[in-house]
This record gives sequence, C-alpha cells and structure tokens, in this order.
Amino acid sequence: MKNIRNFSIIAHIDHGKSTLADRLIQECGAVEERKLGEQMLDTMDIEKERGITIKAQSVRLRYKKDGREYVLNLIDTPGHVDFSYEVSRSLASSEGALLVVDASQGVEAQTIANVYIALENDLELIPVINKIDLPAADPQRVKEDIENSIGLDCSEAVEVSAKTGEGIKELLEAIIEKIPPPQGDPKAPTKALIYDSWFDSYLGALALVRVFDGEIRKGQEILVMGTGKRHEVLDLMYPHPIKPQKSDKISTGEIGIVVLGLKNIGDVQVGDTITDAKNPTDEPIEGFEEAKPFVFAGLYPIDTDKFEDLREALDKLKLNDAAISYEPETSAALGFGFRVGFLGLLHMEVVKERLEREFGLDLIATAPTVTYRVRKSDGEEIEIQNPSELPPPQEIDTIYEPYVKATIITPNEFLGNVITLVNEKRGVQKRMDYITEERVLLEYEIPMNEIVMDFYDKLKTVTKGYASFDYEPCGYKEGDLVKLDIRVAGEVVDALSIIVPKTKAQSRGRELVKKMKEIVPRQLFEVAIQASIGNKIIARETVKAMGKNVTAKCYGGDISRKRKLLEKQKAGKKRMKAIGKVQLPQEAFLTVLKID
Amino acid sequence: MLLYIHIPFCDSKCHYCSFVSYTKNHDLKRAYFEALTLQLEHELQRAESLKTVFIGGGTPSCAEWGYYEKIFDLISPYLLPEAEITAEANPTGATKEWLLGMRSLGVNRISLGVQSFNDAKLKFLGRSHTSKEALSAVYRAQEAGFERISCDIIYQCSIDNKRLIDEDLDILLSLPIEHVSAYELTIEEQTAFYGKEVKNSEEPFYLLIGEKLQDKFSQYEVSNYGRICMHNLGYWMHEPYIGVGCGAVGFYDSRRFYSQRDLRAYIKDPLKTRIETLSRSDLLIEKLFLGLRSVVGVERELLPLSMRERADDLVGEKLTLKNGRYYAKNLFLADELALYILGETL
Ligand SMILES: Nc1nc2c(ncn2[C@@H]2O[C@H](COP(=O)(O)OP(=O)(O)OP(=O)(O)O)[C@@H](O)[C@H]2O)c(=O)[nH]1
Ligand SMILES: C[S@@+](CC[C@H](N)C(=O)[O-])C[C@H]1O[C@@H](n2cnc3c(N)ncnc32)[C@H](O)[C@@H]1O
Ligand code: SF4
Ligand SMILES: [Mg+2]
Repeated sequence: MKNIRNFSIIAHIDHGKSTLADRLIQECGAVEERKLGEQMLDTMDIEKERGITIKAQSVRLRYKKDGREYVLNLIDTPGHVDFSYEVSRSLASSEGALLVVDASQGVEAQTIANVYIALENDLELIPVINKIDLPAADPQRVKEDIENSIGLDCSEAVEVSAKTGEGIKELLEAIIEKIPPPQGDPKAPTKALIYDSWFDSYLGALALVRVFDGEIRKGQEILVMGTGKRHEVLDLMYPHPIKPQKSDKISTGEIGIVVLGLKNIGDVQVGDTITDAKNPTDEPIEGFEEAKPFVFAGLYPIDTDKFEDLREALDKLKLNDAAISYEPETSAALGFGFRVGFLGLLHMEVVKERLEREFGLDLIATAPTVTYRVRKSDGEEIEIQNPSELPPPQEIDTIYEPYVKATIITPNEFLGNVITLVNEKRGVQKRMDYITEERVLLEYEIPMNEIVMDFYDKLKTVTKGYASFDYEPCGYKEGDLVKLDIRVAGEVVDALSIIVPKTKAQSRGRELVKKMKEIVPRQLFEVAIQASIGNKIIARETVKAMGKNVTAKCYGGDISRKRKLLEKQKAGKKRMKAIGKVQLPQEAFLTVLKID
Repeated sequence: MLLYIHIPFCDSKCHYCSFVSYTKNHDLKRAYFEALTLQLEHELQRAESLKTVFIGGGTPSCAEWGYYEKIFDLISPYLLPEAEITAEANPTGATKEWLLGMRSLGVNRISLGVQSFNDAKLKFLGRSHTSKEALSAVYRAQEAGFERISCDIIYQCSIDNKRLIDEDLDILLSLPIEHVSAYELTIEEQTAFYGKEVKNSEEPFYLLIGEKLQDKFSQYEVSNYGRICMHNLGYWMHEPYIGVGCGAVGFYDSRRFYSQRDLRAYIKDPLKTRIETLSRSDLLIEKLFLGLRSVVGVERELLPLSMRERADDLVGEKLTLKNGRYYAKNLFLADELALYILGETL
C-alpha cells in the first residue's frame, strides 16, 4: 500500500490535463510507443472531435523509482463546468491532485472552482505549471497568480510541458514524494466506493471502485449497500489506457473495475458502497450528491413514429451518463417527446449529438430553460420546467427564478465590457478583487436563465476569449416574468414559448420574429410569424409566399433524373417539422439561442 | 408511339450544355448513322404508328440532310398523316440547303437554338454564332417553307438585365415563329459553367418573360410558349416513346431504356440499353410533377386519398380543378405543389 499513489488531474478547460496524462502514461511505459496517441484518455468520438474531455477516465500505471515499483492510479478529469460532478467523484477516490495551470494563461475560473472541490476532500495539491514551451509562457507570474488567488504555496510547483515532455520526470518524483499513500485497513471488511459506472454491451454494468478497506476478490459474494442486493464478483480488472488488465483481486487503496454481470446499472450506482456479503462493514461510505440537472429542454424525434426509439435510446444513454433526467411530455407542435434535464448547454449539445449518432435518431431540441417555481393565486406551489406549462397570468401570484453565483476572471482591460454584459443579464455584483495587477475576479448573482442561453459565448466575445467563467446554483428569487409565445400562421407553437423578464419581452419578441423570418424558408403560402404575450400581439413578420420552385428543362430523357431531384427535396423537407401547413426547419426551435 | 432521334455531334461545346454531344470524332458520323439505323429498325418493331418524331441533339444540323434519308425511309410507313416532325438546328448549321433537304424528307417543324440575340450574351454562353446569324436563320427557315418555327432562349444568366431580356423578347415577338422555349439557365456538372457564379440570383425574369410573351404565345409548360409541341407534350403525358441514338432514352411498359452514352461504344453495340423499371409510386410522382408543370394536369382519381385531400386543400388558391383534373395556377410552382401534395407519403 505504501507504494500506491491515487491522484486526479484537475484544471481549467484546455490547460492540458489530457495531454499531461498522455506524457505520464508514456513515461511509465504503460503503452507501447507505436500505440501512443494524443489525448488517449479521450475515447469518445465527440471528445476527440471537440478536443475536450467529457468523462473522467482512470488508468493504473507502474513506475520504478530507486528500485521500488510504484502503482500510480491517475484520473484525468474534464475541465468544463458542465462536467464538474465528474471532478468531485474523481477527487473522492484520490489522495492528491495535480492542479494544472497553463503558463500562458494563469488561474482561471474553473481552476479556482476545482481547487475548492479538492480542498473539501482534504487532498494534497501539487501545482503544475504546464505549457512552458509556449513563447508566451510566464511561469513566474503564474505562480504568483496562484499564490494570490488561491493561497497555495508554489515554491515547489513543478514546471512542465505536456507537449515536449519537459519536467515529466520531476513531476513523477513529486507525485511519489508529496502525495500520501492511501490509508486503510487491509484486514477490515471490504469497503469500496463506486465512483463511476457504465454499461458495456458485453460485460454488462461495470463499477469502477476505490477500495478503502479490505479487498475485493474474484468469486467473492459482495453486497451493494444502497440496494441491499448481493452479487458474485465475476471478474476484476485494472483500468488501462488501451485494454483493461484482468486481476484476481483489488487490494486496499487500489482502484479497479468490478464485473458483476448485471443488466441494470441502477444496481451499481455511483456513490454506493460495495462490501462483503457475509462480513459487511458497519457504515457505508458517504456517497455523492447526485448530479442535478438544472437546464431543461424538450427533445423530440422529427419522425413522430420514433418516440419509442427515443425512449430506448435515453434509457441506454442514461447507463453511461447518469446526470441526465427525462420525462415524457407532449407538445401540440412537436408531438411526443421528452423533457430532458442537463447540467448545462454543452452537456445538452453532447447528449443530443450522442443520441443522434449512437442511436441513429433525428431530433429537434427546444430552447433550454431552467426550473421556475410558481406560487399560484390559490396558494398552490408548482415547479415548471417547460414554459408552456406556465399558468395563465391571472392564476399566478409570484414566479421565482433560480439564480447562480457566477465567478468571472478577466484581464482588467475588459472589465468594463464584462460589467456591461453582466448588467444586461440582470446580474448583481457581490465581489470584485484584483488577483494580480491586471486580472480581476468578479462574483455576481445572475438569473440562471440568462446564463443558460449564450452567456459564455458573449463573455468570450467581449473579452476576446480572455475571460473565464464558472457558476453554481445559489437559490431562488422573485422575478417579474412573463411567457412570450411565438405564433406561426396564427397558431401558438408551444415548443417555441419562452419565459422572459417583462422588461425585455418587447425587444425579445421583436428580435425573435425577425430571426425566425430569416430561418423559415418560403412556403406555398404566406406565413405570419408573430410574438405575443397572452392575447396581445407584440411583433410580427411575414414570410412571403414562394413564387417559384421548378426545374427549367424537363425533356423525355431526364424525367427520372428530375424525379430523383424531387425526392431529394422531399427528403430535405422531411427533416423539417410540419406545424399545420408550415414546415419549420430544426434550427427554428433554437432561435432563442441566437438572439441578443 | 413517339420517336426521339439523338444526333450527338456539335461544332463546339456551349458553356452550359451537358447533353450527349461530341465536338470531335465527326469522322464517325457515317458509322454512327449506320448504327442509328440499326437501332431504329429494331425499335420500330414495337411501334404501330408514329404520332411525332423529334430529331434532337447535340446538333442535328451538323449532319448533312442526306444522312437522314435512310431514317425517313424506315419511318415513313409508320407516320400518321398529321405527324409532327421536328428537327433541331443551330443558326449556322441551318443552311438553305439543309433546311430544304430536311423539309423534302418530311420535317415540318424547326427548333432553332438561338439562346439570345445579344452578342455579348452569346459569347458569354459559349455560342458559336452571332445574333445576326440567328436572325437570318429564322428567315431562312421561313423561306424554306417551314410554318412551324420555334426558338430556344436561355435566361437568368449573370449577364442578364431587364433591358437585355426585354430586347430579346421584342425581337422574338417580331419574328415569323409560332413557338418559344425559354429555359432558365441550369448549372450542370461537367460543364464549363459548373462551380462558377454565372447565374443571376435576384431578378424574377420569368415573370417578365411570361408577361411579355403571353399575348402572342400562351404558356403551356414551365419553359414553353405558343403552339403546343405535341412531341414534348407527349413526354409530360407519359406517352410511350422510342428513343434511338447515342445517349437517347426511350420509355414504354413502365420502363426507361438508356442507350449507351459513349459514341464508340454505341456504334459498336447500338442495341445495348440499360433498363430502369419504374415502380407505381415512381410513376405517380412523375405524373404529379409533369402534370403540374404543364397544361396536362393531374387526374384526381389517380391520387391516393391522403394526397387527394392535400390537393383539395390547394384548390382555389393554388390549383384549379376542372373535369376531374388538377391544374397548377402557377406552373413555376409545380415542384413545390407536387411536394406539398406528396406530403409524407411514398
Ligand atoms: N504548446 C503546448 N500545448 C499544449 C501543452 N499541453 C497541452 N497542449 C495543447 O492544449 C490543448 C488542450 O489540451 P488538452 O490536453 O485537451 O486539455 P484538457 O485540459 O484536457 O482539456 P479539457 O479536457 O477539455 O478540459 C491541446 O491543443 C493540446 O495540444 C503544452 O505543454 N504545450
Ligand atoms: C438539346 S439542346 C440542343 C439544341 C441545339 N444544339 C442548339 O444548341 O441550338 C436544346 C436547348 O436546351 C437548352 N439548354 C441546354 N442546356 C441548358 C442548360 N444547362 N440550361 C438551360 N437551358 C439549356 C438550350 O436552350 C438549347 O437550345
Ligand atoms: S447547346 Fe446545342 S450546340 Fe451547344 S453544346 Fe449543347 S447541343 Fe451542342
Ligand atoms: Mg481533457
């Protein structure tokens, strides 16, 4: 046990965690040189394409130092705020963490957020200054930055380049010296924390565990304490960057994958404790708070017959992404679908893309919204996650909307821009500190609704990409809100309704119909697009009727070709959604995301 | 039965054109006509009579009239008394001699590829004749005794403007012709225009054209005005036709027959065809968009119930229903109307 080191790599997005993991894997020789890749631990297609980590990944490495062999269990975590629950889980099974900071960027909002999570878990933090190969790198300044903003001693920070491999040996030394070996009682009854689980189509539900006491053996009868169910351990594996390695046991302090041959992933839920069935431990390990979705959107199959397929796909995806929630809902406009809860906009994009890709579905997503609380005039309190559920104004006493505490770090030259932006978004300043001479940390309370739309993009725009941003929910406040409806050809399209502050309703309505006009293609008939609040129309645009759609020449020799062209056009239309006689393209349902 | 004969030779290749035509290999003309005759003989076996004949191209006027003698020998027993026999010609190829010769064989309709009467535009299109040559070709055809003369023009080119189109139309209206084909420029793959921005994307020239031509030539199909060409109408009515020649297409018994497009291969084996079998729904879709783009219309009884319902929705504003047939009020909307009526079906 003395030779085991369990640690996570944490950082702000893109500061080089996954690349650093590559270098550590390489240095430990866990993967043959010719099989080394870039960001090897980003295994999903979406991760590779977008160059971001979505799911935390664990690997077991071996490293020899002074004639002793060490086992290093490394967990690469995602940097994006939407996936920070992955960080919490990873840290719960580590004794230490590498806090990676980009030497050309310095401390950013998620750096701080992740440090807080690490400190809650009482972990040993090793500051790692990465990307020192970059011309713009300024390790000295960044260290000061860390000391000022986080209060972490950087005198022994390790300077590395995950690109060139510089400093990696020193980093391994530091890991072995500074991160404490796990503690735990090998003789006590088995006590292991499930900190990740997923579904494998061959092996069934798999549990990734950290063993705190005792050990898990192949053939052992174990008890999953939360479910009260007993299972036999069919197989055990150590995680590996390419192919898991079989093992007969997982000892105290180690991490490993437990194969129980289960069909139902609910049987190995993240946060649950595994113990010995005959000789159970007294108390389960304190689990995690469940990742709670707070952004909601409708997902509908374009092909209305595919509702059951969507349900099946969601059931399956949930096995690998416990953070989503979903409930069936119906929309007059879109038919049968689901109201799906996400951890943020990126998470929403990723889920939609995975559903489409991995399950061959064509989906329409409606505008994301947050959970509002409504006190009705009759005293009843309800929660709504879909704007179309908002009761009519006369039945509403008060609407409460969720707020977030937002942390923004920006170079001070953009401070003015940032403050203007946050004010537009109804933010209230709570704190403003210079963490270095040129960098300012701002804390705001902002209605969550304002940030789920496009806040991050806007922030990046007004700061030329230099500001970073992190947030966490911080309760509800009364809001002066109304429901804004969009009518297409006179009919309210429920899937397009949004809840907005009364003061912004007029301008939002105008912008929305204008944007919609650009998006809706001309149809056989003229189409009126209106914005309304209750029965009052507040804006209108008209999409003129189409004048011409025909191929010019059609002689005997190419009638078949013309037919095929028409069939192609028809397939194109099929990807649109028919609302009455009007065909709306998919993007129409996300127009809200595109306005100011 | 209708008959189409393809002549795959041209003097030069126009920038927009993707029709099967060869600007070289004119030495193969004789061999080609022999092959053509062979295929014609073979195909005529399934014809009882011929209502129309259309000699198209390429450029039929690239071959002296003598080449066509054998063909007419073969078809004359099948020709109905009033048969419409059209030959396409290019302005420079339509010499007095050629025109007289063709007329003596029985051709009674000439379709001239004019494209425009503006020299800059002709150049832009890659045409090998001038506006003046186009004009004199029309008069030559008249003098040769043709009562039925048609002119093709192309519009919606980047070089077009209202005045240019207006002038072309004025000239057309002043000529001794009974028919105009006005084609919107289509960008086809494997042409000089492909991938280039050579189309005007703003002006609705088609409205201007329809309006100006309407007094003398009434529109009976998206691109066709004046006295109806029975041969083309046959295509849009799904009438059976024989197609002979390199790259020609025939249609009967719910099948399309595609002759080889390669000149040498065709000459080697003129009887070889690729067959495409049309399903009922294929045929229905075609009936729909062909009927709506022309005065042919679509028989109501032919449509399945759901499509009929959607079509009935459109009656009044977009369609008229007369004697059990739907007609598009605006032929330029034909494809959109067809898509609407098709809805999610098929
Ligand atoms: N020049 C240089 N580039 C680096 C270095 N480390 C990482 N990068 C680059 O930085 C980008 C982000 O690297 P990743 O390893 O994906 O960053 P990450 O922190 O894992 O990102 P997330 O998982 O999305 O939070 C990539 O383009 C890397 O090639 C370094 O030491 N030097
Ligand atoms: C089969 S072509 C041959 C006619 C003859 N060779 C000539 O060029 O005069 C018949 C007509 O089709 C039209 N055409 C051919 N290609 C076209 C295109 N890409 N776009 C629009 N019209 C086209 C031209 O008007 C042409 O006159
Ligand atoms: S338009 Fe006529 S002349 Fe020009 S290439 Fe085509 S067939 Fe030949
Ligand atoms: Mg990563």
